[in-house]
Amino acid sequence: MSRKVLGWLITAAGLATGAVLWEIAGRSVGAAFVAPLSDTIAAITPAIWRALGSSLVLFATGFSLSVAIGVPLGLLLARVRILRVALESYISVLNATPMAALIPFILSMMGFDFAPKVLVVFLFAVFPILYNTVEGARSIRPELIEVARSFRSSERALWRDVLLPFVLPFVLTGVRQAIGRALVGMVAAEFFLSASGIGMTLQSAAQSFDTATVFAAILLVTLLGVALMQLGEALERRTARWRNIK
Amino acid sequence: MTAESRLAAAAPAQSLWALAGLTPVVKLAAGAALLAAWELAVRAWAPAYVARPSGVLAVLPSVLASGAFLSAAWATLAAVLEGLAIALVSGIAIGVAMGRSFVVDRLIRYYVFGLFAMPMVAVLPLITLWFGYTDAARLATTVFAAFFSIVLNAADGARAVPLEYLEVGRCFRVPRWRVLVDIVLPASMPYLLAGMRLAAARALIGAVVAEFFISVNGLGFFILFNSRSFRHDQAIVAVLVLAGCGVGFEALVNWSTRHYFPWYRRDEQPR
Repeated sequence: MSRKVLGWLITAAGLATGAVLWEIAGRSVGAAFVAPLSDTIAAITPAIWRALGSSLVLFATGFSLSVAIGVPLGLLLARVRILRVALESYISVLNATPMAALIPFILSMMGFDFAPKVLVVFLFAVFPILYNTVEGARSIRPELIEVARSFRSSERALWRDVLLPFVLPFVLTGVRQAIGRALVGMVAAEFFLSASGIGMTLQSAAQSFDTATVFAAILLVTLLGVALMQLGEALERRTARWRNIK
Repeated sequence: MTAESRLAAAAPAQSLWALAGLTPVVKLAAGAALLAAWELAVRAWAPAYVARPSGVLAVLPSVLASGAFLSAAWATLAAVLEGLAIALVSGIAIGVAMGRSFVVDRLIRYYVFGLFAMPMVAVLPLITLWFGYTDAARLATTVFAAFFSIVLNAADGARAVPLEYLEVGRCFRVPRWRVLVDIVLPASMPYLLAGMRLAAARALIGAVVAEFFISVNGLGFFILFNSRSFRHDQAIVAVLVLAGCGVGFEALVNWSTRHYFPWYRRDEQPR
C-alpha cells in the first residue's frame, strides 16, 4: 500500500473517530454543554445559511475595500522611498495593535449601521496587506532596479518587469493573513455593533442555551474560514513559485 | 521631469536625505503630521467627546497613575501571558508530534488547520456556556487563540529539521526522546519564534474581545466602560497600552530571532 493511500486512510480514521467521540461526548455530558454531532447537523437550517450569507456580504465588502485601498497604497510606498521610510514604522505599529480595541469607539461615533461594521472588517484587514507590501518593497535588491536602469528601462517597464513581480508575492502573503483577520473582524463586528448574520445567530442561540445551533454556526464559520484560507494560500502559491513556500 | 531623470533621482541605493542622516527626522515629521491631522480632523468635524491627541496627553498622567487602570492592565497582561504559556507548552508537544510522526500528522491535521482557520471570537458564546462569565473564560479564549498557530509552526519547524542532524544523532545511537529534546527542538526554534509572534498577537485580540463579551476587569472592559460614558481620551490610553504590548511582543520575538538565529531567512513567512 502506498504511503499516500495509507495517509488518506489514517485521515479518514481520524475524522471518523472524532465524529464518534463528538457524538458520545454530546450524549454523555448533556446537550446544554456539548451538542452531539447528529443534533448539530440537524440544527443547520436555512436560517443559518441565510445568516452566513449576510455575514459573507459584510466580509466581502470590508475585505475588498481593504484590498482596493491597501494594495495601491502599499505599491506607492514600495516605489516612493521617502514615503515608505516616513510611514513604515507607523504601519508596523498599527499592524501589531489589536484593532478590536477600537470597536467601542466606532460604536459610539458611527452607531449601528452597516458602515461601521464594514469599517471594523476593513481595519482588521488592511494593515497586514500594507505591512507585507512594505516588507516586500524593502527587500527588493537595489541591483535589480540598477540593472533595469542600466538598460534604460522606462518607468512603466520597471513596474511591469521588476517591481510588480517582486512585490506581488508579498502582497498576497498580506492578503492571506488579512483573510484570517477579516473573519475575526466580521464576527466581532456582528457581536458588538448591530447584531446581524452568523454573529447574531451565535449570540442569541447561546443566550437561549440552544447549544446545537451554537455548534452548527461555529461549524459553518469554520468551514467558511478553511475555504477562504485555502483560496488565499492557493493564490499565494501561484505567484510565489520562486519563494520557498510549502 | 522625464522618466529617466526621475528614476535617477529616486533610485540610488542611498537618497540624499538618507545620506545626510535625516531618516529619523523624516519619521518624526511624518508622526507629527499624522497627529496634527488627527487633532485638526477631530476639532473640525467630530463631536467634543471624541478623543484627540491633546486631550489624550492631558489625561495621560492621571490615567496611568489610577488604580483602576493599573489593575485592568495587569489583569489583561497576566491573562495573555498565562494563556501564551499554556498554549506554548501544549502546542509544542502536539506540534512536534505532528511534525515528526506521519500517523499523528494525518490523524489530526484537518482538526488543527480547521480550528486555526476558524475566527476565534466565534467560540466566545460557547466558552461562556462552559466557563460562565469569569476570568477562566478569558483565559480559555487566549489559550484557544494562541494554541493553533503554535501547533502549526512547531509542526513546520519539526518537519524542516535538516536530515543530516538526525543522521548524526542516529550514528551516535541517541535515544529517541533525546533526539526530540536536543536536536528537533533547537533546530525548529526559528519557526517556534515565528509562531510565538503570531500567537501573541492573536492572544491579545482574544483577551480584549473576551473582556468586551464577558465584562471582566481588564483593558478591554476599561475601554468599553469609558467609551460608553463618553470619556474617549481615557479609553485611548488603554488602546495605546495595548498597542505597546503588541509592539513589545513583536519586537522581543524579532530581536531574539536576529540575535540567536542570524542565519534564518526573514522571507520565510510564518502562517
